[in-house]
Formats: sequence, C-alpha cells, structure tokens
Amino acid sequence: MIELKNIEKTYRRGVENVRALRGVDLTIDAGEMIAIVGPSGAGKTTLLHILGCLDQPTKGDIFFDRVNTSGMPESQLVKIRREKIGFVFQQFYLIPGLSVFDNIALPLLFSKKPVDRKKIEKLAEMVGLEHRLNHAPAQLSGGEMQRTAIARGLVNDPAVLLADEPTGNLDTENSEKIYAILRRLSDEGLTTIMITHNPELAARAERTVKIKDGLICA
Amino acid sequence: MTSYLKLAAKNILRHRTRSVLTMLGISASVGVLFAVLSFNKGFTEGLALELERTGLHFMIVPSGCAHEVAALVLHGAVIPKFLDTGVMEHVGRTDGIDLATPILVAQLPDQQRGKIDLIYGIDIAVLTAIKPAWKITGTIPRHEHEVLLGYEVAKHDNLKPGDHFSSPAEGVDLVVAGIVGYSGSQDDAFVYMPIKTAQNLLGYPQAATAIGVKVDDPTRIGAITEALTSTVPGIQIVTMGEVMNSVSNLAAAARALSLAIVLIAILISAVGVMNSILMAVFERTQEIGMMRAVGASRWDIFRIILSETTILALCGGVVGIVLSTLGARLIEAFVRSVMPFVPSGKLISFDPVVALGSVTFIFIIGLCAGMYPAVKASNINPVEAIKG
Repeated sequence: MIELKNIEKTYRRGVENVRALRGVDLTIDAGEMIAIVGPSGAGKTTLLHILGCLDQPTKGDIFFDRVNTSGMPESQLVKIRREKIGFVFQQFYLIPGLSVFDNIALPLLFSKKPVDRKKIEKLAEMVGLEHRLNHAPAQLSGGEMQRTAIARGLVNDPAVLLADEPTGNLDTENSEKIYAILRRLSDEGLTTIMITHNPELAARAERTVKIKDGLICA
Repeated sequence: MTSYLKLAAKNILRHRTRSVLTMLGISASVGVLFAVLSFNKGFTEGLALELERTGLHFMIVPSGCAHEVAALVLHGAVIPKFLDTGVMEHVGRTDGIDLATPILVAQLPDQQRGKIDLIYGIDIAVLTAIKPAWKITGTIPRHEHEVLLGYEVAKHDNLKPGDHFSSPAEGVDLVVAGIVGYSGSQDDAFVYMPIKTAQNLLGYPQAATAIGVKVDDPTRIGAITEALTSTVPGIQIVTMGEVMNSVSNLAAAARALSLAIVLIAILISAVGVMNSILMAVFERTQEIGMMRAVGASRWDIFRIILSETTILALCGGVVGIVLSTLGARLIEAFVRSVMPFVPSGKLISFDPVVALGSVTFIFIIGLCAGMYPAVKASNINPVEAIKG
C-alpha cells in the first residue's frame, strides 16, 4: 500500500543542515498495524509526515497505492491527505470553540462532503463519546480529547491512520483505551501507523519499525 | 453544521474582549462615516427643500457677491445696498412673471433704546414658507402694524406677544404678534414685519434689498432672466440653483475635511482589525497546522481567516450604523450648534442607501485588512506548525 524507496530528508536548522532521514526503505501493507519507535531526534516524526504527504522527501520515492507522490504539487497532496489519510496528534489539537461533534466533523468541511450526523454519532459511539457530542473540548479529559481526535481522523474514511505519539500525554488507563481503539480499527482493516515511546504498546503492534539517526535499524 | 462562517465566528468568540474592542473601533468609524454621509445628504436635500419652499425661482439683487444673496435668502444677511425703486416696477411689467415679492433687510438704529434693530421686511406668506420649522409663540403678523420678533430681540427687550414694540419712527405703533423660538442662528436677531411696514419704518417707501421672483413657466427662466439683466441696469439675478451651489460650495470644505478625518479613522480601525487577526493567527499556528494536516488547503485557511475579518468588519459596521442612527439627535444638535447655517428639518436619518454604502465600504476595507493575515496564515508550514 505504501512503499518508501531510499527516502532522504534534509532540512535547515539555523546555519546547519540536519539529515533527518538518510535513505529509508519501508513497505507497509494494507491493514497493518505498525509502531515506529526510536529515540528523540531519530527521524520518527519526519518519517510520519512524509508518509502522511504533509512533507516531501529531499530524495527518494514514496508510492501511495502505487502512485509516486514525491514531487507532487501541494494541491494534489492535499487531496491525498483528505481522501486517504487520517492524522492523530499527541497534543490532540481540538478547536476550543467547537463542540466535540463539530471537531469530529471538521475535516468534512475541507473535503466538501456533507455532514452526516449518523456517521458522526457512530464514530463518537465507536470511541465511547456518544454522550459528549455537545460538549466543548475544555470539558473533556485528556483521554476523551484524544478519542475525539481519533474520530476526527476517521471521519473521511481514510485508508491509513497516522498517529504521532497518541498516548504521549495520557495516563496508563487512557493509553489502554486509545490502544484498544487503534487495535480494533486495525483489525477492521485500517492501516494504522503510530509513533510511540511506550515499549508495551509498541510490542503489541503487528510490526515494530525501529529508527535511529535517520535510518531504519530493525 | 460546520461551515467556514461558523468556524470563523467561533474563532472570533474565543477572544471576546479583543474582538469586541476591535469591533467597537470599526463601529465608531463606520458610525461617524454614516453620520457624515447622512448629514451631507440631509444637508443637500434640506437646502433644496428650503429653497423650494420659498416658491421662488430666482432673486434679483443689486450687483455684488452671490454668497451675499445666499446668506440673504437663507438667513437674512444685511446687504448694504438697495435696489432702485424702478426695478420693482420693471419686474412687474416683464412678461412671464407670476410673482415678484420684495424683501427689505436693513439696520434701524434706535438712539432712545441705544441699540440697532435688524429689520426684515417681507411678504409674511413667503416668510412662513421659507421658515417652516420655526416655532412661534403667538401668531404670525396678520396686520401691517404687527411684527414677529427673533428670540434674542424679545429676550433683550423682555417682550411677549401683545406687547408694544417701540420704534424710532414717529407715528409708527407696532405690536408684537409673535416670537420665534430659539434657533441659535441669525434668525434670533431680526424683527420680521410686512414689507410695507418695513419700508415705511425705514423711510424708503419703494426700497428692496432683493426681489424674489416666481415665473409662470420654469422652462422660461433663462429667457426671463436674460431679458431682465439686459434691460435693467445694476441688478444681478441669482437662481435658487445658484444659491444652492453657493451654499454647498461654502460647506464643501467642511465636508471634505470631515470625510478625510473619517477615512483616517477607518484606516486606523482597519489596522486594528489586521493586528487583531494577525495576533489570532499567530496564536493558532498549531491549530492551522492541524487543519492543513486533516485536509485544509491553503485556500481553505485563507477563506477562514478572511471570513473572520469580514465578520468583524460587517458586525462593527452594522453596530456603528445602529448607534449612529440612535444618536442622530445628539449629533445633529452638535452640528447645528457649530455650523453657521444648517437647513431646517431632520438632517441625519436612517437612509438604506447610505447604510448599505457604508457597510459595503467597510466590507471592502475588512477584506483588504484581512488579506495580509489570511496570506500569512495560508503560508504557514504545517510541518513546522505541528512541531510547535
């Protein structure tokens, strides 16, 4: 489903060039649940952003459903992000002024799809937030915020869900809940790729990709 | 249901105090713009109406300045010249004249009382037509020996309707028929009386400072004025349109200045809007990064930010117009107290065309002010933004 060939990424930080990725080769099959692990600064987030068509590699090719997306114009990358990718962030990034319902529905605004109330209610139910739909993010716990963010990431029926340390800000109980949701999604056929520092969660993924100094080491 | 407008509105409401203060800045400037434009419209219309009410088509005056004529027509200035006595007869004989009414405005020194009266002699029917807004205590003069006093004259001499009005002319006994309410203008200083009475009082039985003329057929005004100026020497003919232009020209500088000040105020409030939205964009960098990640294009972000600016501008504009309409009386009272001549009648009132024009103007200004923050937001690199 996703194939990375010799991906390199170099960016400037001040006066120095940082080589975040130094030739990454990776193939991800549909429905896989992958955990990306590695120390801070290893290049995990950069890899996730490239997988999510949010960033472009400096060198190498990335095939998404056999279509090479490296060098694609931003307008086409936006389309892929809308249609095929769901994002979940460590900091949730919910919009404070919107209700849980509207936060989940937000990506539909950008994909120009009508808001299907039943679908959003179903997603909320799936993440256990059916009773919180009219609440503001400020009224939610950290775990509930992250579950809202997962529902938001799923609203466009993506083929891949990318999660950047989805349990990084959560306690063990809430981390377990989040993992259970991701696991269930993966079991239902959704390709799930998550960055995690939690070795227990990583061990439970179908595959663990270890990354160090911009290279996959295991 | 989520929409760009709803999202923009929710974003504005996240910082209520800042948004309300920014909006108030817009409201103030749009309110003033609306008041100035309404006033200008009201002034022009009021002036036209006031001139139309005279029922006269043009004024014949001694050769001189058009501004003097405007002042005479609108608030009774004293022109230190009289028309020759033959002019009235000549005008009366001219073909196409329906009505020729002499007006005599002059100073009458009264050594016994140690003051100078300003006498305004006119056909009383014409006077009431010229000054429809006057509030008169008592009645208008109905007999030749009756006078109407300006507010200040009555106050100075402590006179009320029915009192005797002393005059320096022997054998002339005048009675106060009525007193004009306070206007704050030169009207307060005049003693109004029938033209014959004024002529007798001043000792010029046929004299007139001006002759107001109404013609049978307004389309023939040009031919009639041409005929009069070519046959009667020493006169100047000023049409009501010229009087209007003359007054409008005098007020034009004040109007231009006030509009310039309003435009500067709008510019300042637009910078305020830009600053406010720019702050909001910087504060929401990560959120914008998230939106880009979940499928928002640069154009989507641009639209959201621009919507925020236009909502602020439009709400501010509408509030400004409402406040300006509600405060119209206060503004009008202030303007009347500082301007030498203001037509009677309502000057500032809700005019949908002016209101729509003002809102459209601020909408365009809002769009311009929102352009920079919107471009800035749409250019936020999502990767950098999400990294924080």
